[in-house]
Amino acid sequence: MRAKGETGILSMDRRELLKAGASGLIAATLPAAAWGQTPKSGGTLLLSSGGDPPTLDMHQSATYLTEFVGSPCFSTLLRIDPTDINKLVPDLAEKYEVSPDGMMVTFHLHAGAEFHNGMPVTAEDVAFSLDRIRKPPKGIVSPRKGLLGNVKEVEAKDAVTVVVHLTAPQADFPFQVANPYNVIVPKKVVEPLDASGQGMKRTVVGSGPFKLSQAVDGQIYELVRNEKYFAQKAYLDKIQMFPIKGEVERAAALQGGRIHACFFFANESVLEGLKKQPNITSLRRPTPTFINLIPNVKMKPFDDIRVRQALSLAIDRQSFIKTVGPLAGAFYHSYGLLTPGSSYNLEAADMKQFAGYDTVPGVGGDIEANRKRAIELLEQAGVPKGFKLVLLARGDIPAFRDSSINLAAQLKAVGFDATVDVRDAGGFYAMETGGQFQCLAHSVAVSGSLPDQILGEGYTSFGGRNYGSWKDDSIDQAFRAQSTESDPAKRKQLIRDFQIQFMKTYYQINLAWVGYGAAYQKSVMGWTALNDLYANMQMDRVWLNV
Amino acid sequence: MVGYLAQRLATGFVTLFGVALIVFLVMRVIPGDAAVMMSGAGSGVVSQEELQQVRHQLGIDRPLVVQFADWATHVGKLDFGTSLRTGSPVIEDISRRFPYTLEIVVLSMIIAVGLGVPAGVLSAWLAGTWVDRILQTITIVGLAAPSFWIGLLFILGLVFFFHWSAPLFWQPIWMDPLASLSQLIWPSLAVGLRQLALIARMTRSIMREVLGEDYIRTARAKGLSERRVVFRHALWNGALPIITLIGFEIAALFGSLIITESVFSVPGLGQYVVQSILDRDYPAAQGIILILAAIVVLGNLAVDMLYGLLDPRTRVQGARA
Amino acid sequence: MTEVTSDALAAYAGFQPAIAPPQPTRAARVMRLMLRQPLGTMGAIVLLVMLFAAVFAPYLSPYDPTAGDPAALYKPPSALYWLGTDAFGRDILSRLIYGARISLIVGFGASILGVVVGTAIGVTSGYFGGWYDSIAQRIMDAMLAFPMLLLALAMAAALGSSVHNVIIALAMPIVPRAARISRASTLVLKTTTFIEASRAIGCSNLRTIVQHILPNTFAPLLVIATAYLGLAIVQEAALDYLGAGIQEPQPSWGLMMSGSATSLALTAPWIVLFPGLAITLVVLASNLLGDAIRDVLDPKLQRTNL
Repeated sequence: MRAKGETGILSMDRRELLKAGASGLIAATLPAAAWGQTPKSGGTLLLSSGGDPPTLDMHQSATYLTEFVGSPCFSTLLRIDPTDINKLVPDLAEKYEVSPDGMMVTFHLHAGAEFHNGMPVTAEDVAFSLDRIRKPPKGIVSPRKGLLGNVKEVEAKDAVTVVVHLTAPQADFPFQVANPYNVIVPKKVVEPLDASGQGMKRTVVGSGPFKLSQAVDGQIYELVRNEKYFAQKAYLDKIQMFPIKGEVERAAALQGGRIHACFFFANESVLEGLKKQPNITSLRRPTPTFINLIPNVKMKPFDDIRVRQALSLAIDRQSFIKTVGPLAGAFYHSYGLLTPGSSYNLEAADMKQFAGYDTVPGVGGDIEANRKRAIELLEQAGVPKGFKLVLLARGDIPAFRDSSINLAAQLKAVGFDATVDVRDAGGFYAMETGGQFQCLAHSVAVSGSLPDQILGEGYTSFGGRNYGSWKDDSIDQAFRAQSTESDPAKRKQLIRDFQIQFMKTYYQINLAWVGYGAAYQKSVMGWTALNDLYANMQMDRVWLNV
Repeated sequence: MVGYLAQRLATGFVTLFGVALIVFLVMRVIPGDAAVMMSGAGSGVVSQEELQQVRHQLGIDRPLVVQFADWATHVGKLDFGTSLRTGSPVIEDISRRFPYTLEIVVLSMIIAVGLGVPAGVLSAWLAGTWVDRILQTITIVGLAAPSFWIGLLFILGLVFFFHWSAPLFWQPIWMDPLASLSQLIWPSLAVGLRQLALIARMTRSIMREVLGEDYIRTARAKGLSERRVVFRHALWNGALPIITLIGFEIAALFGSLIITESVFSVPGLGQYVVQSILDRDYPAAQGIILILAAIVVLGNLAVDMLYGLLDPRTRVQGARA
Repeated sequence: MTEVTSDALAAYAGFQPAIAPPQPTRAARVMRLMLRQPLGTMGAIVLLVMLFAAVFAPYLSPYDPTAGDPAALYKPPSALYWLGTDAFGRDILSRLIYGARISLIVGFGASILGVVVGTAIGVTSGYFGGWYDSIAQRIMDAMLAFPMLLLALAMAAALGSSVHNVIIALAMPIVPRAARISRASTLVLKTTTFIEASRAIGCSNLRTIVQHILPNTFAPLLVIATAYLGLAIVQEAALDYLGAGIQEPQPSWGLMMSGSATSLALTAPWIVLFPGLAITLVVLASNLLGDAIRDVLDPKLQRTNL
């Protein structure tokens, strides 16, 4: 650990943050020389994504369609290190400290930072933004309310100092704040817009390296460099984003050199085609997106744990990955509830104790035996053979639809008369949030890979993903225990215990993890793919080598 | 004549009111509403209170009658409200997308009539020959093939043979006419194929009948050249049914327009209305459907008027039954 | 003039042929009909083949249409899979055969439902007239002005995507068109003498309608029904393509061309090619059949284009 006062090319490791009394010394961004070439200024980056952003309000959205367009225009207090997903680097806050007891986090803002309209960025704006996220005003939705659920109060101590008071110490807290969607917006502009119900749907005023210059629905979203950016200015003059719905069409545009990059591909066949192109870099990496089979615990017979176990036993994860992988990117698996490669993962041997999870690649299970056992369990639970099971699915996203199709086929093997009811997005969400379903498959895209984020959102009864309406205070307690534990070794144990405890309930049945692909011309420099779809999308270190 | 026009306009107005009512009710019947869409788009569960607040902001929690009356009175003043999704006035969204759809409609009509009529005439003239048989086959298949399948085949062919890719930015016609035409020619062809087939077949059958009628014989007897006979007399009298056909087809045209725009990803009205329905964007969906219906009603009215003008025989009949 | 005076005329008037000319048998008449309308006959045959395939699908299709073989994704047509496989490894030929069921059920169902309901409205509307007629006509006009696909789309989104809901959704645009045509027929028939006669001898309204009017509107309606069969099938495919109609894993021709299929169409064009061909074939057959029926029943109708 570095001594106090020392700056340099470093970023704070999560473990170092946990040490009581540590002060977060954060340095400037990494030098461009890290990439071995001198970046050139200028040029217009042509990008494409899968469609129009349904809204440009970052706080209210959870889709990459919004985030890809919005992220370059805004700043968060901290952001993920482009070279290491487990580290943070400064953004709007040039440094921060955690108090010895862990209950107070103080952020020091850059002096002289301005919003695109010339107004200075003050602590009041930061307080307003964080409050907007954790206590949204009437008519504003905030999917990440829970991320800041531990905050008691946000205090604007002076113009450049923000003090966040927590109700309990939380090691992951700085990362919650670094979530790319938790941007800082100007209070004076947004407050009246919220009052009128408009919100930031169509208004983009941030402090980021780019400014929104035009947004034409269905055609183009254009960003220009912010010359008054408080940190090192971006290299690119302009970014133009074109919504192109079909993946094949996007790939064709990329191949034909009409766009420079597309940072979202799901389909393997398309990526395969791009891999063959010599001038294009294409890759796929796991992201914190997992596909779970979610039974509606409030509906019989899914309140019976034996039935839920049977569901899990019926599914051959390997076969699921093999079929759904190429269509939706569900190629990855993990031991436990956290991301593939996480240091908190369980061991393969641990997985054997959970019914059905031994078919996860690398564990070594027997699907035939599992299915036999499932049939027995269903008999015991009084579920007749030929029981009509309808899987609710969302039709426009392969990860939802194709998962459900595969699941229905697999569930038939244990005697369910399984069919899929495919709805459009609106109908699907209405039925899902209204509890009008028996089972469904949901592809949960979490915008961060920390335990607090994944477990908090997906595996607590108050988290945003409890579509199945289960309720278990002991699990919620276990979550809070690990969240507030400051000793890293103890915390690791608590996280392990939590995973085992939850997986034994089968309230949600994990199937696979999804990784998304990205492809870009070799002339695009300065972008690195992290194991996260949303991080590192501000584009300020990207340049065109032409 | 004026009285007839006034009466038709009045009934047209009532029809549009009926359409407005139907679309309003149907949109409300669909499960899920704009509040759910906005909050559901990828995020986690939002509480019912939050949803209620959003509904209140959007004004969709008021009683249906109130909402309808509010919307209807605004429409009367030609104010179609604000799109729940884009946040801009519906009229603005429509006027931005309208040129593309209009261009496709006009282009497809030009193709359909410009190629269809000569094809039909040729077919009629050379009835029974192999030229006729080939044209007949093409038109009959063109009628049967679903336009979106044709569109898909076009895309496949274009990508495969010409390494075509969808335009990143669709040029409106006033910005760059040539580029605009070259972009929209393919969807227009896909849409126009069916119209072309219909018109060609209709032209052929009319020409065949007309070619045998008395006044053609009279014209021939008068010694006019064969060509003049055909083109002047036959075509003139055949124009009427063709125009009627076009009138009938306007509504069907919108259908294939909508789906072809989806296939080609043209940012036109068709795509907008499908998107609006799927997004439960009530003002936008209602507004567009009403406008499309108005076009159909006006189109039919225009065809009837044209009919009345061109064919003196129909003028005697007063109001339509 | 009461008497025939000319001998020649008298002889002619009393002329009786020694042997009656043979009456053509029923079968022979049908044969002649078929030979006169070769295209229509072909159309009927194609439809019958489709019907046969649909009914006997379980015996005809080589594979289970919903069971995918993960080892055989996107295989081009081969000896094993005659028309290739799709994104899930499902045999396209089998899906095509089972898909015929959906397309024909929905096509016939929507067309018949639409024509029946439309005729009921149109005939009663034309026969009784008055307020009922005016109101019914305005509603029909409103439905006519509504773009067909959008009405079906909205109804399908509202009702959900089961087969019977899709049939209802697709029947809706047909109702006003059938109503229009049957109403026009009724209006013409109303003025004929034999309807007046029927009323004069005291037939009830219902009897008049059922016994006299309906049979005479039958011809144009049969023509519409066959014409709209094709249209219903295409609309159904369009609905499925947009994702608002029949859903996975049920095989439907329109559905086979959408979803993952489009993304992979370049690498596996047979996924998109064959369903569209099937639709084209069926629509073609029904159009030809409809044309032939129209020609046979009433040549005057040739001018009327639907």
